Amino acid sequence: MKKSLKTWLFITLILGLSLSACAPKAESDESTVYLPLVGEQAEVEEAPEAVDLFPDKAQVVYAQGFSIDYYDTYKVVTVTQPWQGASEGFTYVLVMRGSQVPGGFEGAQVIEIPVRSIVTMSTTYFPHLEMLGVLGSLVAVDDATYVFNETVQQRASAGEIAVVGGGAGGGAVNVEMLLEIEPELIMTSASGVPEYDAHPALIEAGLPVVINADYLESSPLGRAEWGKFIAAFYNLEDEANRQFEEVASSYLALKEQVSALSARPTVFTNTDFQGSWYVPGGESYAAILLKDAGADYLWADTPGTGANPLAFEEVFDAAKEANFWLNVGFAGDLASLLMMDERYADFDAYAEGRVYNYNKRVNANGGMDYFESGTARPDLVLADLVAIFHPGLLPEHDFYYYQQLQ
Amino acid sequence: MTQPDRTTQPFIRPLPAIRWWMFGILAILLLLGFSASLVFGSVSIPFDNILRILFGAGAEKASWIKIVLDFRLPKSLTAMLVGAALSVSGLQMQTLFRNPLADPFILGINSGASLGVALVILGFGTTGSLLLAGLGLVGDLSLALAASLGAGAVLVLVMLVGRKVRNPVTLLILGLMFGYATSAVVSLLIYFSIPERIQTYTTWSYGSFGGVTWSQLQVMIPAILVGLLIAYFLPKPLNALLLGEDYARTMGLNIKSTRLWILLGASILAGVVTAFCGPIGFIGVAVPHLCRSLFNSSDHRVLIPAVTIVGAIVALIADVIAQLPGSQYILPINVVTSLFGAPFIVWVILRQRRMKSTFAG
Repeated sequence: MKKSLKTWLFITLILGLSLSACAPKAESDESTVYLPLVGEQAEVEEAPEAVDLFPDKAQVVYAQGFSIDYYDTYKVVTVTQPWQGASEGFTYVLVMRGSQVPGGFEGAQVIEIPVRSIVTMSTTYFPHLEMLGVLGSLVAVDDATYVFNETVQQRASAGEIAVVGGGAGGGAVNVEMLLEIEPELIMTSASGVPEYDAHPALIEAGLPVVINADYLESSPLGRAEWGKFIAAFYNLEDEANRQFEEVASSYLALKEQVSALSARPTVFTNTDFQGSWYVPGGESYAAILLKDAGADYLWADTPGTGANPLAFEEVFDAAKEANFWLNVGFAGDLASLLMMDERYADFDAYAEGRVYNYNKRVNANGGMDYFESGTARPDLVLADLVAIFHPGLLPEHDFYYYQQLQ
Repeated sequence: MTQPDRTTQPFIRPLPAIRWWMFGILAILLLLGFSASLVFGSVSIPFDNILRILFGAGAEKASWIKIVLDFRLPKSLTAMLVGAALSVSGLQMQTLFRNPLADPFILGINSGASLGVALVILGFGTTGSLLLAGLGLVGDLSLALAASLGAGAVLVLVMLVGRKVRNPVTLLILGLMFGYATSAVVSLLIYFSIPERIQTYTTWSYGSFGGVTWSQLQVMIPAILVGLLIAYFLPKPLNALLLGEDYARTMGLNIKSTRLWILLGASILAGVVTAFCGPIGFIGVAVPHLCRSLFNSSDHRVLIPAVTIVGAIVALIADVIAQLPGSQYILPINVVTSLFGAPFIVWVILRQRRMKSTFAG
């Protein structure tokens, strides 16, 4: 039986290839997605033109960190920079469940798709899973304390989602528990320091682990585009393309609208801690958002995508007369900022009450939705920022992530 | 406290042999260091402007006045106080335990402070510290307060044990064990915390002079003065202790009460510094050695004022280097003291022979 299956598949492929070579390009149609080798469906009678099992391909435009190549029965997903300064990338071979693993990918992680269960080690994957309608496949998370997503939070406290550690702050990963859960996919971020990363232990244990490097993307749209990366494991590229297109077009439309304005208020971000003020570089995610929102970020010209520790006095000198002060960490109101350091009162932005923080959506444990769904919805973040800097442009705006500190 | 009778101190080198003139040089260095830490910073402010600001005559740029008066002046004062406090505390600990490796934190004072801070930063988050503020406690001092409570708890423990235990080595081992236990709890908190908070805690553990504001100095200055005052009453008992407790006892020294006073003074100094600036290493262990070498003496009548001034100078220099004059960036204080200080101290120690005569007993 098995042998005949393979023979059939081979014939199908040959036929399909020759057909598709001369046939006009097939229309994308969900009905043409065949799962030839799953159970009873094995009897493929004729070669459909959709030997191309993946008519809906992800188009990656902004994201720098991954690429997806489509072949007839499998996809190859490449994470080009799994962490900052990584010397080589990771290749993942995504094959339809039950079909044969293509040759030539020795050593690469093979994932059978569409996956039916996923373990996540970062909260930034939740919004994508939710938007794609596959949040139900979530079986375990690294840590549930700071999760904002209510569904995940509830299911975790009900014990329906396991907590396995291994995320950026969750301690060592519980390999035994994961071996028992047998997830079809574990998605994690990595730092490149083996002691801190979960993936070496997971690979060692033979678990299907994939590295998602969304956080390295400094372009807000690029970061959001990692939704397509996640979608590839569910064969939901069509949906992901469509959703991303909406996000991107509203982001770009707003950016376009703002770029016509000549007034650009000055802005600075973050807070001091014990004399060190971490200032995001001009090429960072935060800086790009501020620029796109039509603000004059005071450190827009400094190189780098990370943050640099500056002396408090340096920041004070530069930002004393700045119009806006944003992203003040955990501070929930103006008074608590002063409790941290009385010198904050000398900033004009503070004295005049123009301090905004991304803590409008925060749960009881301090988990902030800005860091969770905000990465998937840069359009909403940008709208908030534009409403802060150019209120005239969005007079009826309801703030989603940001709020003015009182 | 009981002071040994002057006539029973044949072992103390007569004062004239001591290099008193060194104090003149040190005073000049202290003034230079203080000026340097006011002049050099990320923002370049001309020297004449700094003088005008200090004398209340205004400046070319309004923000410079704030920078000099509210940023640099408290930072320089803090550096001097911290340097003096840690050095005096370290000197007392080295003598009490007759151990050249002893530092202000040898009894776990910083472990207690770290635990307090870790509980606030990692355990409850900033909402936790706001909670403390809500309880009517001094709000802007929440971290300092937590650290003080932690250090204070260890201090009380040390004093209680110090009253019972005769052998200082037992105290040392207890301090060590306490350090292990608290750092285990801190590790546990780190293990279950999130990266942003871990980074905050790590930043705290690097040490800093820049986070101290005038309102914090109002607490810090008197506390450190009390600690220093206790030390300045103790040079003779400390000299006696150098010769061994048995010998000191035969000279009529009340070992028990002397020891408790030393522990109290040194622990207040170490605790206050850690509370406001984080666990600052190196200065407390290095400066006493540096001064023994500079003054060629083990006499605490010389060493206590000497380490006070040298400690302040070293901390000021470390602060200037940490500001990386001419650059925007700043380095953590602990990095500077250890990286630049360690080679220098190695050189000093290798040149001197006093170590043996001080700690051989």
